[in-house]
Amino acid sequence: MAEPKLVLPTMDAIQRWQGVAVPNAAARHGLADFEALIADLEKLRGEMAFEEEPAGFEAALRDCRDKGS
Amino acid sequence: MSPDVLSELSMTEAADAFARGEVTARALVEAMLHRLGQHEAKVNSLIRLDREDALLAAHAADKARAAGQKLGPLGGVPMLHKDMYYREGKVSTCGSKIRRDFVPPVTATVLKRLDAAGAIDAGTLNMAEFAQNPTGHNAHFGDVMNPWNGAHCTGGSSSGSGAAVAARFVTAALGSDTGGSIRLPAAMCGVTGLKPTQTRVPRTGVMPLSFSADNVGPLCRTARDAARFLSVIAGACPNDPTSAREAVPDYEAALTGDLRGMRMAVVEPWFLDGIEEPVALAFEAAIRVLQGLGVRTEMISPASMHGIVTYTAVVSRVEGATIHQNWMRECPGDYATHLSARIYGGYAIPGTAYLEAVSRRGPLLRAFCAEALEGFDAVLTPTLRTRVPTRAETDIDADPENWARFMALSANTRPFNYLGLPTVSVPAGFDDRGLPVGLQIATRPFGEARLLRIADAFQRETDWHKRNPFP
Repeated sequence: MAEPKLVLPTMDAIQRWQGVAVPNAAARHGLADFEALIADLEKLRGEMAFEEEPAGFEAALRDCRDKGS
Repeated sequence: MSPDVLSELSMTEAADAFARGEVTARALVEAMLHRLGQHEAKVNSLIRLDREDALLAAHAADKARAAGQKLGPLGGVPMLHKDMYYREGKVSTCGSKIRRDFVPPVTATVLKRLDAAGAIDAGTLNMAEFAQNPTGHNAHFGDVMNPWNGAHCTGGSSSGSGAAVAARFVTAALGSDTGGSIRLPAAMCGVTGLKPTQTRVPRTGVMPLSFSADNVGPLCRTARDAARFLSVIAGACPNDPTSAREAVPDYEAALTGDLRGMRMAVVEPWFLDGIEEPVALAFEAAIRVLQGLGVRTEMISPASMHGIVTYTAVVSRVEGATIHQNWMRECPGDYATHLSARIYGGYAIPGTAYLEAVSRRGPLLRAFCAEALEGFDAVLTPTLRTRVPTRAETDIDADPENWARFMALSANTRPFNYLGLPTVSVPAGFDDRGLPVGLQIATRPFGEARLLRIADAFQRETDWHKRNPFP
């Protein structure tokens, strides 16, 4: 299977931002997964509204807690 | 009682027998050593065995009990734990070459609580390197081998914990769970594994992988064992400001065996996608067992699932990559191939995508609870969609083409880490190759009592958790 186009520029970006070189062929192979992840994130666009304050995960844990046990 | 008879006791049975004076701690430790001597070479679950320390601790426990002292709910019970729970002054390798000589300056809160409850710490268990694979491969200490068939994966990352409990070396072991690392080895080795609610158990002195999704919990023989174990380790710790201040109930008292009137949801998209037939058959049989106990079940399709599974793929990868970045620059060759490959991908995800995933976590938890747990006591899924794979067919170090199969193993467990929900895996049968199948049960935050009540009732009706790979 041909390597997706995003792999090489992603490797360059990681090297530039993090100073981390691709460690092995498996790592390069794994970057191909990001085509699907980006597509999945695209489908969620619009759900992240402008927030006046961050939504609290811990508050949601408390609010949703089991009240019968 | 002979060592083999003692090794058949569950954790609670062993602790209660010790408390009643029916068995000594020394006999329990010797049973562990006997069993290790018989079968450890076929399993490779150990990293360090503290034989003399364990015998000394057993002697002290027997002496104290003989003097009339009460030793706590885990009194006299030997345990081994995943080698990422720090004990001051003792090496904690985290399953890695990089930390092969790491001596932590602190002791984990959960180890202190287990000590106080009377448990005997006998050493440390093999694990996935830095708790980061779902299979049980380890390039530095050797793969842990499934006690049911050594060619197959144990599941990871708490591979040694799952295998050691299944093989009857110990009755209980600490694991950790960031994407399924307690539930996967529990399912693949045929034991009970509990991932508590996010924040339920303090993480002080525990090797981090992902601060948002890491959880501490037990692998043990039965739901009752998990209930007692959780009662010991749960609760706020001043040294872990992220630990919840919710009261810790008496989990064992909740094990009534009565599920009449309960409703449970089977989530159809995602959790059953691509399920293999032997797993589907066991899952359907498990549902019938619950229905026989008076549970009504219903298929549902929550709209929130797409967001949950997408963001799940973001959070722990970025956090794991961030804390490993110095070693990834300085000594990438000291990681196993599969691990450096997995960490590397985390650097590709933009900060805004990560923060979006973190910000959506609360709203998606609320949405999932409204869709899947409003009017339902629990959600049921198979722990894995596939049969337990072989170590060879999930070995990325040997062949990068195994990547997809490797990553897919945790598909059904990871969403519950993102949601922070308490989730348990219990043995629910065997596949056509004789490997275990797990049933996963999840419920609302801090609903461990309800969760364990369901798991315990299921185990009263089935004997899958009693099967022994080395009878």
